[in-house]
Formats: sequence, C-alpha cells, structure tokens
Amino acid sequence: MAEIGKVRIRIPSSIKRGDVVRVRSLVIHPMEIVQRRDGKPVDKNYLFIHKVTVAYNGREILEAETTQSISENPFFSFTFKPTEPGMLRITFLDTHGGKYEGTAEIKFA
Amino acid sequence: MEARREVGRVSRRAVLRVLGLLGVSAAAAPFLAGAPGVAVGQGNLGALQPEEKVDATMQRLFGGRPIKDGSSVIKMELPLIAENGSVVPITVEVQSPMTPASYVKNIYIISDKNRRPLNARFSLTPDMGAASIGANLRLGETTNVRAIAELNDGALLMAKREVKVTVGGCGG
Repeated sequence: MAEIGKVRIRIPSSIKRGDVVRVRSLVIHPMEIVQRRDGKPVDKNYLFIHKVTVAYNGREILEAETTQSISENPFFSFTFKPTEPGMLRITFLDTHGGKYEGTAEIKFA
Repeated sequence: MEARREVGRVSRRAVLRVLGLLGVSAAAAPFLAGAPGVAVGQGNLGALQPEEKVDATMQRLFGGRPIKDGSSVIKMELPLIAENGSVVPITVEVQSPMTPASYVKNIYIISDKNRRPLNARFSLTPDMGAASIGANLRLGETTNVRAIAELNDGALLMAKREVKVTVGGCGG
C-alpha cells in the first residue's frame, strides 16, 4: 500500500466552453471493511474514505459522504459544466485523518 | 468529617477496581481482535452507518416523507449479474434540469441486503450541468439496489434494480 492516497483524475482531452464534462477519478485506498469476531463487529478505528469533495476554482460543486460499502480503490465519476478555465480539485478524506488531493487543469480547446 | 473521608475511600477503591477491570480487558482485546498492535478502545465503529434493515435506513434518512416512483427519470446502470460483489460499478443519472431554480440536491445509493444499507450520499450543485454520478459498490449478496434522488424542493424519487451477486464482497 505504498501508493495509498494516490489520486488519478481523467478528463476528456478536448473541452469546449459550455460542455458538460464527465470526470472520472480514482484513489488508491484500502477502504477497510468491518471485521467480525464470533459474529460481533470488532470496534477499532477502521480506515476508509468517508468524505469526498470536488471544487472548481475554489467553489464546491460536489460533496459525497461515503461508507465502507464502496469498493477498495474507490472510483467516482461525475459531470460538471465549466464556464471558465480553471483548476478542478478533488479531495478525499479518510477516517484516520488522511487527506488526499488531486487536481486537473481545465482548458478550453 | 470521618464519614466523608470514608465515602472518599470507598469511591477511590471503586475507581481502582474499575481500572483493574479495564486493564484486564485491554490486555485481552488484542487476542480477541486477532490483530496485535492495533489501538483498541478508540474505535470508530459507533460512527459508522448503523447495522439495520433497509426499512430502518429509509425511515432514518427520509422520515415518513412520501417517495415517488422515479423509474422514468432515474436511469441506473449496473450489471444484472455481478460475479464479484466487491466491485460493482453503478451509474445513476437523473433526467432533471440543473439550474439554481430546479436541480437535484442529493442522490442516495442504498443496497437493501447490505448490513449497513447506505452506500453513499452525493450532494450535487447546479454547477454540475447534469445529475450523473458513478461509483463502485460493494454488495454482500443478491440484493435490490435503490437510487433515491432528492430534488431541491424536497421531492423524493426512487428507482431500484436487482443485482445478482455470485461472490459476496462485503463483510461490513
């Protein structure tokens, strides 16, 4: 898990002003699931991503609350409509205080 | 005066006894958890989604609010048969305008048979241009998956689909 927290973002190669753009993002993360011992869940500090935020030029456009019933190495895709060029920033927060960020520059063709 | 001191002594003894018990349980815990070295006693189990039936989840999230059938406006894409329950791709698209006056505020993804049914909640904004979300789910067994869209005026729309899961992928 040396790569834990590595964020990959894919955007279309050519974007025109006013297009609705589909962004695909992935973060390397174990997303621990609840362990059980004798049928009872074990209370420990499970490591998983519980919050994802997407901001464009500092303005939040999407926020997600995620649980451990999202797969390991969580993948999210969403759309957004850029009206001006700028920086898309995706932030993943996990329950151990980890903060993983990825950015993608949006330029108009 | 004497009585008060007596009280103090008794309570201190009680405190020590409790501490002793905690010490014993803390020593035993690593064996129970099967993972020595893990900090026990500061878990976040209580902060996770509660283990409950899907009806309880719906009640908790939406109260008694009416949920309309949204199968004509919510387009869910997910496999009919998922061989591996630990990675089940889903996309949810709500055909709705995304303007500040009328947009989809939240999309909830709920798997009926998972021990903790809520998979994820997405809070959308009009800047997104379209209400379309994709993610990978973990499904414990063959289950209905529901996508519930909450519009900005508070209306709730739901679509659901069954996914057959060959190998479960969710312990929690």
